Amino acid sequence: MNHISDNTPSSGQATVRKTEQKVRKSVIIIDRIADRVITIGGILVIIAVLGILIYLVKETLPLFQAGEITSSSEYQQELPEGGIISAGMDEYKTISYLILDDGSLYLFHTRTGTLIEQYKMDLVSSAIKSFSATIDRQHFAFGFEDGTVQLAEITFPYEILTSDQVPENIITLDDVDSRAGNVIYTKIPDGQFRKISLNLSVDQPIKVSESDESIIAIDYRVSGEAERKTKAFVTVDKSGKAKLNRIKTKFNLLTGQKKQTIQNSELPTLENKSRIHSVLMTDRADMVLIVTEDGRAYRYETSDFAAPILAEVSPLLAPGTKMTSLGFLNGSQSIVVSGSNAALDIFFVINDKKRGTADGKALVKSRSYGIPDAVVSDFTPSTRGKSFAVRYEDGSASVIHATSQKRLLEFKAREDKKLAEIVLSPRFDGLLTIYEDGLIRFTEFSVPHPETTFFTLFKKVWYEGYEEPTYTWQSSAATDDYEQKLSLIPLIFGSIKAALYSLLFAVPIAILGAIYTSEFVDYRFRNTIKPAMEMMASLPSVVLGFVAALVLAPIVETWITAVLAAFVAIPLALLIGSFLWQLLPQHLMIRWQNAQKLGLMFVVVMIALVVTRLIGPWLEDLLFEGNFKAWLNRDFGTAEPFIFLVLLPIVFMAVATLVGWLFKNYLSKPSPDSPRLYIYGFDALYWLVIAGLSIFFAYELAVLFSFFGIDARGGVIDTYVQRNTLVVGFAMGFAVIPIIYTIAEDALHAVPDHLRAASLGCGATQWQTAIYVILPAAVSGVFSAIMVGMGRAVGETMIVVMAAGNTPLMDWNIFNGLRALSATIAVELPEAVKDGTLYRVLFLSGLVLFAMTFIINTVAEIVRLRFRKKTMQL
Amino acid sequence: MNLLKKPVKSGESFKNTSMAARGEPALWTMGGTLALGVLMIIAFLILVVWNGIITFYPGGIEQIILNDGSMIAGEIRRSESYRPSDDILKTVNTEWKEKIRRNKGVAERTLFKTGNYDLYNEDFKWVDEFNIRERTNPENIYYFERVEWGPFIGFIEKVELGGRTDIRPENLADRLESEHEKAVERRQKIGVIEKKKISDINHSLEEERLELKRVELAEGVDSDPYREAKQAYQEKTETLMAKYKKLQDEAENLKQENSQFKLTLKEIGGQKKTLLLSEIVRFYAANQLSLLDKLGVYFSRWLEFLTAEPREANTEGGVMPAIFGTLTMTLLLVMAVAPFGVVAALYLREYAKQGHLVSVVRISVNNLAGVPSIVYGVFGLGFFAYTIGGSIDTLFYPEKLPNPTFGTGGLLWASLTLALLTVPVVIVATEEALAAVPQSLREGSLACGASKWQTIKNIVIPKALPGILTGLILAMARGAGEVAPLMLVGVVKMAPELPFDGYFPFVHLERSFMHLGFHIFDVGFQSRNAEAGKPMVFVTTLLLITLVAVMNAVSIHIRNRLNRRFSAGHF
Repeated sequence: MNHISDNTPSSGQATVRKTEQKVRKSVIIIDRIADRVITIGGILVIIAVLGILIYLVKETLPLFQAGEITSSSEYQQELPEGGIISAGMDEYKTISYLILDDGSLYLFHTRTGTLIEQYKMDLVSSAIKSFSATIDRQHFAFGFEDGTVQLAEITFPYEILTSDQVPENIITLDDVDSRAGNVIYTKIPDGQFRKISLNLSVDQPIKVSESDESIIAIDYRVSGEAERKTKAFVTVDKSGKAKLNRIKTKFNLLTGQKKQTIQNSELPTLENKSRIHSVLMTDRADMVLIVTEDGRAYRYETSDFAAPILAEVSPLLAPGTKMTSLGFLNGSQSIVVSGSNAALDIFFVINDKKRGTADGKALVKSRSYGIPDAVVSDFTPSTRGKSFAVRYEDGSASVIHATSQKRLLEFKAREDKKLAEIVLSPRFDGLLTIYEDGLIRFTEFSVPHPETTFFTLFKKVWYEGYEEPTYTWQSSAATDDYEQKLSLIPLIFGSIKAALYSLLFAVPIAILGAIYTSEFVDYRFRNTIKPAMEMMASLPSVVLGFVAALVLAPIVETWITAVLAAFVAIPLALLIGSFLWQLLPQHLMIRWQNAQKLGLMFVVVMIALVVTRLIGPWLEDLLFEGNFKAWLNRDFGTAEPFIFLVLLPIVFMAVATLVGWLFKNYLSKPSPDSPRLYIYGFDALYWLVIAGLSIFFAYELAVLFSFFGIDARGGVIDTYVQRNTLVVGFAMGFAVIPIIYTIAEDALHAVPDHLRAASLGCGATQWQTAIYVILPAAVSGVFSAIMVGMGRAVGETMIVVMAAGNTPLMDWNIFNGLRALSATIAVELPEAVKDGTLYRVLFLSGLVLFAMTFIINTVAEIVRLRFRKKTMQL
Repeated sequence: MNLLKKPVKSGESFKNTSMAARGEPALWTMGGTLALGVLMIIAFLILVVWNGIITFYPGGIEQIILNDGSMIAGEIRRSESYRPSDDILKTVNTEWKEKIRRNKGVAERTLFKTGNYDLYNEDFKWVDEFNIRERTNPENIYYFERVEWGPFIGFIEKVELGGRTDIRPENLADRLESEHEKAVERRQKIGVIEKKKISDINHSLEEERLELKRVELAEGVDSDPYREAKQAYQEKTETLMAKYKKLQDEAENLKQENSQFKLTLKEIGGQKKTLLLSEIVRFYAANQLSLLDKLGVYFSRWLEFLTAEPREANTEGGVMPAIFGTLTMTLLLVMAVAPFGVVAALYLREYAKQGHLVSVVRISVNNLAGVPSIVYGVFGLGFFAYTIGGSIDTLFYPEKLPNPTFGTGGLLWASLTLALLTVPVVIVATEEALAAVPQSLREGSLACGASKWQTIKNIVIPKALPGILTGLILAMARGAGEVAPLMLVGVVKMAPELPFDGYFPFVHLERSFMHLGFHIFDVGFQSRNAEAGKPMVFVTTLLLITLVAVMNAVSIHIRNRLNRRFSAGHF
């Protein structure tokens, strides 16, 4: 294929031109058409094939993008005197409301700002001293000067109507919304309308402070299902008394009656009478934080409702800093703290026995988002995921995702205007920014993937509820406030682990087998054994996976010691076999050197396998007290046995070299002319002594190693699970061995014969020729074979899906499972929502896999081309 | 070269060679690994082939009395050695305890297929060797394969054929046989009515509904054409419903008739179970079968396996739809891959200017052959199914939305994905075949006045054809065995319909399909009991590797028939 000259086409055309009159027109036309079709078609096919990469990149790019503003509108509201306490909107972003500090509710249309309604809420007093809203902004608690608390709820009931159910006299607000009184009708696809309105219900006041002290801080949480709601709130009154209240509502479905039980308990009093900034409580009401204005947090453990304890006092801010805002993110695990020194941090409560707190937990700062000189005055969490919006004192605002620390959207400050309130829409697709002078700006945005950045995908991330930053893959959501953890590192690690362990098994077999086939058997034998190996390459991997998982895994589990012993026993048996072979009469050695010799090796391997099967339990008794798996679990025993097994071959080789080198001059070898039996007898004795020595040294070394605390358990070996990397390695070996074998054999075979001839002619044996002449010449080809094999192993899917157990762990334990990139794609992509984050992350996994194999294969290919050039020159 | 490789022959030179130089231990290590590799292949093939072959062979049924006096009956599946846990060992008597202790804590146990899943809630049972008091082979125990609930193993207690219970025992076997045949025929008839005819009506109903929707989308609800269409729709629906009713009655009658032929069976523990004759697929007195009978059962099971549809969550019955799906997909794959692969190779080898760019493209194409198949699956799902399929749906099938037609995995997308996966294989193979055609042939042709295309068509391609075919067959073999990308682009556990049927346009490439490879994964890993699915998996595996091996053997055969001079290995 290297002899194609570049000028062929031109010489062809010359011929055509000369005989132009005789050529039929159709021939020329067809030739032209064929030329065009093949050129264009060929280029198109190649582009299409290469286009995969481009498509994959295109699909994954949105993961790294921030948010995008889709529309925005602005209007001025004539607000009555008084400050805004809170604001909110419905999930379709139709109606927005403001709660003002005189106890009135102000409703307006979100997109246009048209006033819908304004009225006073049914509150006992207008002296609102404290206020709290749940994260979904549906439930509110008002604390009054007279020590009472009143709870309220805002809902947005809606129904879908057909066009004939909509009343006639509606006022058009914008292109989709119309209004009739305080009801909004929205046009939705399929000719239908959505009717939506606001419904406010205010509960009876509850007397909290017996001494009529004013309620200065309150936090209110609602949990449980609609029929069995638990409302809990914690209050701090002016005298510093903190009270925990819980209202359980049981709704009897049969009678339709509500039953309310109110419980309350008092928190241990604060030791320090500093001014309280705010109070916080988790959704499950098992923890309360009271935070003073100088940033000191009093954490109470309230799992036992009747007897709360003060667990910890810890500063949240640097000394001398004033607290500006405090609150939970959705899920009430992350505490957002901001201070007057432009700090914006998130704290977790984690298990930490070292801190010596009363409940063994501690408040820990996990992330910081502060930018210099930008003091956060307030923040608002999103009900979707872990995003939140902050407003700064200078009037600017940002939307940030907590885990990824991605700044999704930035809103610039307007001149001299201070922000009074910011509201995120329930579906996290809109932001209402309300300025103190009544100017309101409504921005609609889309942030499809707030939670992913390069950082979250490839670096350690400190997730809620974890004690430290980790690489975690956990893509399925258990609850709503659960966060997907999409780190690709465990998956990449899994792929590499599977590939490395299987190559550890496959490479020796494939390469040694290839050298033997290429150099030591005759061509007829080679021509039968090679296609057989190639056939193995096309075994469907699903078959390999099935056999590995359902047949091999149980066998390996039962006979694990025997399997491990086989790694020592087979080489040992082959060494003994080679020794016995040399005792054969020479004419037999020569006559049997092909199939018969391989047959004998076959028998030896079989014998070794049978022997290991028989001595397996015995070995387990001897080394691992009869239970290898319990030994792995570190239930008992020392590290010695395994280290001994690993060291044995290494020490053996070391001792053999050392003895050979040290006693080279003192050891008088029998002369080649002595009787053969004498030579071999000497040989046998020699090696037996070395074996004895190496067993001794290996054992002593193992004792020494384990004395110094070196233990393989916890490293490459540990607790045994049935579907593990060892099994994967075996099965993948089946897939990879034939590939490496074929390419390596081809490479060895391609070394020109005159090299062999020269070497043999100089008196080298076949073995010397193979090792010192052929292998060095072919080494790059052999290397490329290993690389190609590695490429295949990294991307292999069905075997890892079926046999690897699919646990996304990061340890090198060969007896543990793994979760590979490919398996994750195969298992999770069919269920992933199109264009969702998981979907795109899985596309990214595909891209990573593509890149990994492409690099490996390119290296292999370049090495291979260089090799080819070299052999051409030889 | 072979002369050179022959070792030194005389014994003298052997003597003079030092041992290290001969490197016999190293040679044995190498040869040993080769032997190990071959041993692995052989062991693997024996495992798969043997298990695949014996699966359908009816074994005898053994009756076991356990130490606690309870009885079980079942077919022996296999035996194994294992280590009983300490809890189990506590229950063992001292004699056996001593034996196990001497055996390093290893005991033997046997797996019995006991069937009767509806009564026992399991159909396999491990029996420890030390737990067996007595084993016998009862003469009159039967093995029933049922349409539902898997096999039943037990005795015939009472027979009721067409209301008569007084059948003489000597006629019983024959009567049962002939009545069973009739009952099965009726069951199949019901099947045809319920599946084919009623689905015909359902199909027509759906067509009418879509027609109405189409009018609605085009004309709106308040238009005259819509009202007319609605009128017509209602009339047609009524006639169809009447037909439906008639068919249902017909099926009901057949069912009524079937219910008069029934057996009362008793399992080994004494529990009774009444079974309609029509619910039985096959039955035999397991311990009375002659070799010929056994072979009969064996081959009838194979026939069922190859021609019937799966039952029991795929763990029983046949794999016909999967065979059909695999073959159709492979065929489509070849139809897609052949022209594109060959055209690209022709361009690269015959038309493109051989320079750096082409070598880069060539390296890339070579590398693409090594890109994991799952990546192609990801691409196929995103690009073919969602992007292209989604656009086709909005353009041509708006009335079916939001249910996707082409906008989800299907046969067409699966074969295109696999075509993309195998196109590098074909390009590489074709290019090598084209390169192996001696330049002199081209030059000769051109010199005789043939145009370039004529040369390619008449000289180059015929000469390279075996190589191209080899590449195509290798692509087919790879495609047929590939499962991972299919899991993303349209393979399903149970396809309700084949891609071909009697409804316009007769070929439904958008439908999802079944595949032998996925069948293995599904039955082996997703069925209620891995043990129950195992025989099926082994047989399917045998079928799949036979298919792949045949394709490979053909391609190797073609390659070997090529003139050796043209052959090109990896180097």
